[in-house]
Amino acid sequence: MLEPILQTSELSVSAGSKKILNPVSLDIPEGGVFGIIGPSGAGKSTFLKSINRLTELSNGLKVSGQVYHRGDPVYGVGVDTDNLRSRIGMLFQQPVVFPCSILANTLFGVRHLGKVPRKEWNNVAEKALREAALWEEVKDRLKKPGQQLSVGQQQRLCLARTLATGTDVILMDEPTSALDPRSTEAIEGLILDLKETHTIVLVTHNMRQTERVCRTVAFIGLRDKVGTMLATGKLTDLQTKCCEIPELEDYLCCELTEPIPKAKAC
Amino acid sequence: MKRKLIHHLFRALTGLCALASCAILAGIVASIVMRGWSALNWDFFTQQIALVGASGGIFYNVIGTLILLATAFVVCTPLALGFSIVHSVYLRDSHWRGKLTLLLYLLNGVPSILFGIVGMVIFVQVLGWGKSWLAGGILLGLMILPTVSVTLIERIGSLPIKYTEAAIGLGLRKSQIIRSVILPQSIGGLITGLMLGLARAAGETAPIMFTATIFAGASIPGGIKESPVLSLPYHIFILAQDSYDPAVKAKLWGSALVLIILVLGLSLVALPARLKIHEEANHA
Amino acid sequence: MTRSALNPSCRRWSITLILSWLFTGVALAAVVGGLGLLLIESAPAWKHSGFEFVIGKKWFFRQSEFGAAPMIYGSIIVAILAMILAAPVGIGAAIFGVEYLPRKWRLGLKVTVELLAGIPSVVYGLLGILLLRNWIYEVFQDFDPLSGDTLLTAGVLLGLMILPTIMTLADDALRGVPGTLRLAARGLGLTATETALHVSVPQAFPGLLAAVLLALGRAMGETIAVFLVIGRQDNQWPSSILSLKPLLESGQTLTSKLGGSETNIAYGQPLHWGAIMGLGLVLLSLVVIITLTGAWLQRISFRQHQQHS
Repeated sequence: MLEPILQTSELSVSAGSKKILNPVSLDIPEGGVFGIIGPSGAGKSTFLKSINRLTELSNGLKVSGQVYHRGDPVYGVGVDTDNLRSRIGMLFQQPVVFPCSILANTLFGVRHLGKVPRKEWNNVAEKALREAALWEEVKDRLKKPGQQLSVGQQQRLCLARTLATGTDVILMDEPTSALDPRSTEAIEGLILDLKETHTIVLVTHNMRQTERVCRTVAFIGLRDKVGTMLATGKLTDLQTKCCEIPELEDYLCCELTEPIPKAKAC
Repeated sequence: MKRKLIHHLFRALTGLCALASCAILAGIVASIVMRGWSALNWDFFTQQIALVGASGGIFYNVIGTLILLATAFVVCTPLALGFSIVHSVYLRDSHWRGKLTLLLYLLNGVPSILFGIVGMVIFVQVLGWGKSWLAGGILLGLMILPTVSVTLIERIGSLPIKYTEAAIGLGLRKSQIIRSVILPQSIGGLITGLMLGLARAAGETAPIMFTATIFAGASIPGGIKESPVLSLPYHIFILAQDSYDPAVKAKLWGSALVLIILVLGLSLVALPARLKIHEEANHA
Repeated sequence: MTRSALNPSCRRWSITLILSWLFTGVALAAVVGGLGLLLIESAPAWKHSGFEFVIGKKWFFRQSEFGAAPMIYGSIIVAILAMILAAPVGIGAAIFGVEYLPRKWRLGLKVTVELLAGIPSVVYGLLGILLLRNWIYEVFQDFDPLSGDTLLTAGVLLGLMILPTIMTLADDALRGVPGTLRLAARGLGLTATETALHVSVPQAFPGLLAAVLLALGRAMGETIAVFLVIGRQDNQWPSSILSLKPLLESGQTLTSKLGGSETNIAYGQPLHWGAIMGLGLVLLSLVVIITLTGAWLQRISFRQHQQHS
């Protein structure tokens, strides 16, 4: 097995005296798609954001434990969080497009990070937009405002923006929950393409999506009202564990529809 | 690294700005406390002004200011209540609400001296009151109307919709809903707004200098016509222009200290609540 | 929110309804009445001087000569000076509060700054007359000012006074920028400063401009503090409109004139009083134009963000 690109060790989150996430220790291997599933409010997004320390920007969240990215600690004095975030990118539920042109949006990170010389910006933008399967749709209107795109296109623009900064890990927080089925399919296709070159951590609600794209899955459920990682493994393995973990059974029963025969699994 | 350097420089720069703002407050308060502290004693609060401010105390100045504030309170409360209810409940057309909001903005921007001048024409001359505490109170009440109304409107606006929905579900009429749901729930906003408004009114000089207040020779007013009061801000205003006598100076700083204690005390109690209402209404 | 929930119920006459509208009517009547009074009472001066009232440079009421230009100049110069001093500091402090400080600290900063806003103008005036005036006189001694009562003194004092207004309105404007934009920028690896300068400030720009304008309007209307430190010298007209020399000379603003003793002696003589009321009308017009522009910009800013979130 490959050495894990991300490793969390006893990573827990609390808000004041209230615990949000019990300690999670998890190895995420390089390449492929790692899924995180679980009921809403269980702290999946918080877990995701704590990987690249975006939690620090929300008020009152306290993270303890450690995350290793390629063996380097993420939490600690002297860690360059901005540099870290440029290597571990993030895609949000709702596409967040800056009020500027499509091209400027694509280059928003690149322009400021200063890793790429200016004369290569256009190439970087084209490459990123191609990777996000958006190039053909927008190549004639790169100077038009990004907010004129459809929501699905906007989400792909956000993906292109992250890809352009040269990330090797992309955290995706329910990236298709705001999209229609067609756009969802496009994003899922993209995820499948990207997993060859990138490591993707995908928080999702959609079991069909999980089944389609994820190699390994972690289940975060609510135990005593605190988010707890209750199971990891292949999705099929999780289904067999149903009977041992009541939270997982509850969740799978509600989420699954016909394609996966969960009754048989139990 | 250049980016980090810019980051730290800019953060330090803006931090300095924030620090400077706080330092200004601290500096002003400290310089007044230091100079005015020695003037504060029992006699200063209980005696009348004497020797053109060089001796005696500020008893009737404090009383006069309190009379003006009480009048402003009485004048402003119904106006602000009416205005806010019309604005937030009765007006159905957002176009007209916008107009009313704009009017509040404008009224808030009207220079206070104009209240004084227009008030002088109406109360002193046309109505023939001469200088009168009532005129001053009315003008101050009108002047703080925007402060109070905006707070109340923001508070009403941020009431959870379920309260009114529940009341409608019970079959209450609009006026009953206002009296039984909206007003009790937003009374805190009214009080907060009033305290801040009164804090502002307490320090205002321009609206009352031509209409309500004199420097010496008034006590508790007995009627409306020709019944001016003394007041703290006007006292400071007049003495400040003639402040070469060290005895006057000491009393002057003492009066200023009393005034800022009154004003900052009122503000300090109301400000956190005011800011909370404002955040809830605008950045929820 | 409340309103839309209440809409379905039909309107019926009630004490609450009548009283609410009555009091609103009283407030509106007071505003309209005040404005009408300014117009009517200032009519004699307009008839007498016409447009010369606004551009005339001489004010000698005994000769029935009424030109308000030096006072308009004084008002504008002093307010602009105050703005130049206060805007960078106020906006800087707001940026620090919103972009770098945790919420609790930001509120603490805002409370402190709004307390500063609560200090009465007569107290600022007192500090001006007893402290600032002397400092200015000493610091600028090389330029030979006649006294410490100068436009500069008034401008610095006003700058202190409008600092909280700018800060608190700028804070509102920056807070209006959706947090998702900030988070997205930080998620790309931008520093907090890059996010502030390239995301928050451009987004909040109309709001920041509005903050500055509303503060400018406030500065122009301020009376008591300016009155005490400006020297109240009539008919000061600069040799060149861009000259900096008048900053170290005494002058007069619209408000300091209105707050002075001439207001007391003018009443009863229709022309002289008309001129005083005319000054009031000019002042009101300036302030209203500035405030309206500010309010308009604020609305643009607000709409932009609503669209976005």
